[in-house]
Amino acid sequence: MSEPELATPFRERAGQALRDSFLQEALTIATTKFIDLRREAFDEFPEGEALRDRAREIKEATLQRLDHYLDLLIDNVERHGGHVHYATTSEEACGIVLDIARRTGARTAVKSKSMATEEIHLNDALEAAGVTPIETDLGEYIIQLAHERPSHIIAPAIHKTKGQVAELFARELKRETVADPEVLTRIAREELREKFLQADLGISGANFGVADTGTIVLVTNEGNGRMVTSLPRVHVAVMGVEKVIPSMTDLAVFLAILAKSATGQKLSVYTSLVTGPRRGGELEGPEEFHLVLLDNGRIRQIGGPLREALSCLRCGACLNVCPVYRQIGGHAYGYTYPGPIGILLTAMLNGPASVKDLAHASSLCGACLEACPVRIDIPRMLIELRRDVNERRIAPWSERVVFGALGRLLQRPALYRVAARLGRLMQRPFVRGEVIRRVPLVFGDWTRTRDLPPVAARTFQERWAELERPGRR
Amino acid sequence: MSSKAEFFDRIRAEIGRTRDLAPAAPSVRPGRPRERLDVLRRELAERWRENLQRFQLEFERVGGVFHRVADVGEAPEAIARIASERGLRRIVAWHAGALGVDVVAPLAAKGLEAVAAPDAEVAGDERERRRALAAAADLGVTGADLAVAETGSLVVVSGAGRPRSASLLPACHVAIFDREVLVESLVQAGLVLEAWHDGTAPPWRGASINVITGPSRTADIELTLTRGVHGPREVHAVFVEQGLAPRRV
Repeated sequence: MSEPELATPFRERAGQALRDSFLQEALTIATTKFIDLRREAFDEFPEGEALRDRAREIKEATLQRLDHYLDLLIDNVERHGGHVHYATTSEEACGIVLDIARRTGARTAVKSKSMATEEIHLNDALEAAGVTPIETDLGEYIIQLAHERPSHIIAPAIHKTKGQVAELFARELKRETVADPEVLTRIAREELREKFLQADLGISGANFGVADTGTIVLVTNEGNGRMVTSLPRVHVAVMGVEKVIPSMTDLAVFLAILAKSATGQKLSVYTSLVTGPRRGGELEGPEEFHLVLLDNGRIRQIGGPLREALSCLRCGACLNVCPVYRQIGGHAYGYTYPGPIGILLTAMLNGPASVKDLAHASSLCGACLEACPVRIDIPRMLIELRRDVNERRIAPWSERVVFGALGRLLQRPALYRVAARLGRLMQRPFVRGEVIRRVPLVFGDWTRTRDLPPVAARTFQERWAELERPGRR
Repeated sequence: MSSKAEFFDRIRAEIGRTRDLAPAAPSVRPGRPRERLDVLRRELAERWRENLQRFQLEFERVGGVFHRVADVGEAPEAIARIASERGLRRIVAWHAGALGVDVVAPLAAKGLEAVAAPDAEVAGDERERRRALAAAADLGVTGADLAVAETGSLVVVSGAGRPRSASLLPACHVAIFDREVLVESLVQAGLVLEAWHDGTAPPWRGASINVITGPSRTADIELTLTRGVHGPREVHAVFVEQGLAPRRV
């Protein structure tokens, strides 16, 4: 299901976010805290840098033989009595889960936090089919009660105050409460505990799939991942095909850097390794285990321009350090995945046209590359996306004309010199105190958010030529 | 519905399109991991004091409560103390064979309602009843199949006599362990995971392994750290100095 063209353009969404003073404060506090925690975690862990390289190489090695490792994973999941399904599109993935729900007579589904199921809009599909999905990660639960979308990959309700959550609980759960995170969390525990025990279906994502053992790995802090994979009689895990890793030895490498990058913890509280359904002698565990392997645009990037983005661990570190994300937050991006990596993932899932504006929502400062645990070169791919958007003529015509002209100008020194002189004349009406704040016509959009320095009275080239003149040295 | 064959055709076609990739290899896995693990355990046996100290430090940093008793006989007393200090009465525990000590009889003798898990397959309605028991319990007693010093983590393997719920549903979790299960690092834990998955799994082994690093927590409301959102609010580790009875690992 490619997402529909969004009603409000990106610039307006970003503008709304910038005017929301509460959001601004929440974003600053949250992202700054995440940055500090991450830095402290890696400062204490000198081997971290080498492990980041190692982790990236494992991802790359797996991608080079993805068919082999996926096949191994599938064999091992089936050997332990699990069922594997193949979904090329979101619709297919939702259809598979709905079929399982229908066949097993499921009425309610408890979900642990999963970006993959957000991406395919599984909740909408379940609701339409009469199955009630219940998000159980506290942040996701709040978002679901508020009928909103997550604004951060790992902190979905980052944009809400405790006061807003208290009001929400009073309205939706009919429980009067106070604006205290401790009390609010206890209420959520009580509400959700009942749901865990009653639900027919448990739905999770997967942080990793270990090929050698057929194991699905979930990383959570709250324990909801354990509930979802242990209490309902059926467990469905939806996993992007790129999440497979070869072995348990590789898993140890990823675990050593994942939580440090995300929240600054050495490890998240629960790392849950699930290998198939309940086994004989166990008191808990699902009778059925299903693994849905999700393509949804990933496979065509194995040999495509966004290949590197297939190494993403979904830790959220690049969001926290991004000067754009820090200003506008997750919702302004408009799609499931926000932030720098989110732009690439949006292009992967929905095609380059979906990011014709978003591709520019980056200052290309490189902070994301620096923070990424597996060193994904996000700025490089953003630049390539911009070029792609331009070449496919998806970009606004005015932008294409202006930048096309500029490109030709910069390649021809003679033309450039003429243009500089012309510019000096033509800019006169627009220079206000050493800067150009507004330029009319097709340039207007560009100068809305930027000031231009005027063309100098004598250009650098002219001064250079003067210096080179004999007799001047 | 996509088929496996079609899925793999597309993946192979894409891999065929890639050019000039830098050579890359996954981690070098330990050959004969079980033997390697035996060697490692012998080495670690000499450093258990340092490792225990590090474990305690890290475990307390993540909010765990550390206890130390001299021998197995004192373990039930430590549990009873934790329970009585908090006014907790209903206890579910792993089977004595999996725990390395019988805690149920001594706890019952102190007037607590303690129930141990069966160590063999039981019928569906009995499983339901057991689950309700765990859901209503105040305290869960488990062993630990691994204690990782670097991260302060306890690892529990599910299986016969080792219910997942004991470390999940009650608000207070107590894990009993000894020096046998101590390792230094995540890398060593990786070797243990390799060894556990080497060859056919023993018949008692369940489908779930959990690495537990402190009490259940969330910071989803204004990044305020709050404990016990779904799992236990408190996690206790009881170290038995003289060691527990031999158990299946």
